[in-house]
Amino acid sequence: MQSLVSLSGVGHVYPNGFRALSNINLHVHTGEFLVIIGLSGSGKSTLLRCINRLVEPTEGTVSFSGVDVTHTTGDALRMHRSRIGMIFQDFNLIGRHSVLDNVLYGALGRTRSLPSILGQFSAEQRAKAREALEIVGIAEKQKSRADALSGGQQQRVAIARALMQKPKLLLADEPVASLDPATSHGVMKYLERINKEMGTTVICNLHFLSLVRQYASRVVALKAGVIVFDGLPPDITDAWFKQIYGEDAIEVEIR
Amino acid sequence: MRNTFTIVQRVTAIAIDIALGAYLFSVLWFVLYPALIENPSAQLPNIYGYVLTMLFACAFATAGALGASLGRLFVTGKASNGMRRTIQIHLGWILLLVTIVSGWIVTDISPSEFFSSEGLRGAGRIFSALITPQFDIISAALSAMVETVYIALMSTIIAVPASFILAFPAARNLMQGSVAARAVYSVLRAFLNIVRSMEPIIWAIIFSVWVGIGPFAGMLALVVHTVASLTKLYSEQIEDVKEGPIEAISATGASQLQVMWFAIVPQCVIPFLSFTIYRWDINVRMATIIGFVGGGGIGTLLTQYQGLSKFHEVGTLVIVITLVVWILDVISARIRAALQ
Repeated sequence: MQSLVSLSGVGHVYPNGFRALSNINLHVHTGEFLVIIGLSGSGKSTLLRCINRLVEPTEGTVSFSGVDVTHTTGDALRMHRSRIGMIFQDFNLIGRHSVLDNVLYGALGRTRSLPSILGQFSAEQRAKAREALEIVGIAEKQKSRADALSGGQQQRVAIARALMQKPKLLLADEPVASLDPATSHGVMKYLERINKEMGTTVICNLHFLSLVRQYASRVVALKAGVIVFDGLPPDITDAWFKQIYGEDAIEVEIR
Repeated sequence: MRNTFTIVQRVTAIAIDIALGAYLFSVLWFVLYPALIENPSAQLPNIYGYVLTMLFACAFATAGALGASLGRLFVTGKASNGMRRTIQIHLGWILLLVTIVSGWIVTDISPSEFFSSEGLRGAGRIFSALITPQFDIISAALSAMVETVYIALMSTIIAVPASFILAFPAARNLMQGSVAARAVYSVLRAFLNIVRSMEPIIWAIIFSVWVGIGPFAGMLALVVHTVASLTKLYSEQIEDVKEGPIEAISATGASQLQVMWFAIVPQCVIPFLSFTIYRWDINVRMATIIGFVGGGGIGTLLTQYQGLSKFHEVGTLVIVITLVVWILDVISARIRAALQ
């Protein structure tokens, strides 16, 4: 079976000389819900960004749907990114703009620059945006300013923005790290639905092992930019936990 | 302790000392000596002054090399040993004293003229004229003031789009991509700094020759200066934007133009507006001054009446300018506070 995402020997060194990733070999198949765990600074965020090429790897190759995208630029890079949705810890909505506009921005990758700047989104795109808002259960807020919403609601708008892209793959960079436990499950449940019902592959960075065990179909652990574990959630034993998070770590549960 | 300095620091210290030594001696020779020696014809030819200045500079630099350098005060925060420190402090005091005395001479400070009875009578005349304004010219004054306010307004309106566009290539964080981008950034920033350091009054003189004396020349002068300063303010705001929305919009596959418009501009709109209103406020004041050199508006009217020594009329103009500037200042401050 061909993998959706393939990383071979991927490494990344930032311009200041900091090595974020070393020799990452990772193959993600369609339909997986892959969770990446690891301490802050272990390279999780850089790894996600190598996939949609917000970061250009300094070593190795990245392929998506069998196409090498490691050093893609220009329109091909735009096209590549538009196939991959992404949500963030801090939601990264445009706070001053309406919820509906924020969702429409998911279509930017497939809209020409000038019409989009003049606000000319098609009726079809608007209908799609409303549909995406309905999927995350927030359609009634479409006219509100995005920064007027609660954290959980903002993350749902961000998910709707990603859905607007009709993505083959959804990247989630610590999507619940800024949220309280109850809201966290709400957001994770939407990611689960998108994975199970729409068949969208999900790669998600997480901190809480309890969430990992509940939602992940596969877990990869990073330590100092190296993959130290690749397996099923139940296989993360106490010994593994201590190896990933250090001897002093204590597992915190979130229910 | 002595050897803790790098070559660069030592060279810098010596350079500072050469400059200070040359300064000290030239002030002594060209300002204090002619002013304090009664008979100026007894002066030596200036060529000796230049030669002695160079020698004095070298002597100072030698002192620097020996470690008693004033330059070291600037090069490093470390205190040198006691005696050298004392020499540095004495040299510092001598420089300050010489500067104040020569400054007094150069600026022609004269308390006797300030308090002379004739001078005080003149002051009394002009003050009484200023506080008994001649309101016959009020309609001319008001229409000239309106012209000034419009000069300020139009120059701001015309400068905003240009500044908005230039602000992006002048923002360091957007121009890190390639060598070419960094070059564009550096050249643009340097150019803007040069334009900005030329006062609007100088631009007004240039444009009054170019397009003729009048409000158009004044407006062009303000446009040039406003573009340079608004671009700097705008671009610093762009350098301050949060990275998150830029990442999020880029991740949808947006083009660079779309990223600027949808991720950067919304974060900057309010500060941009605030800067723009503040700049209009400044432009009203500057438009008044520019009128003195033929930039039109109330400044031109003011120089005309001042040239005719019609101080009652000047008083009227001063009242109009003060009132309008004060009102606009209050309004602009209110708007900017509301925008926060």
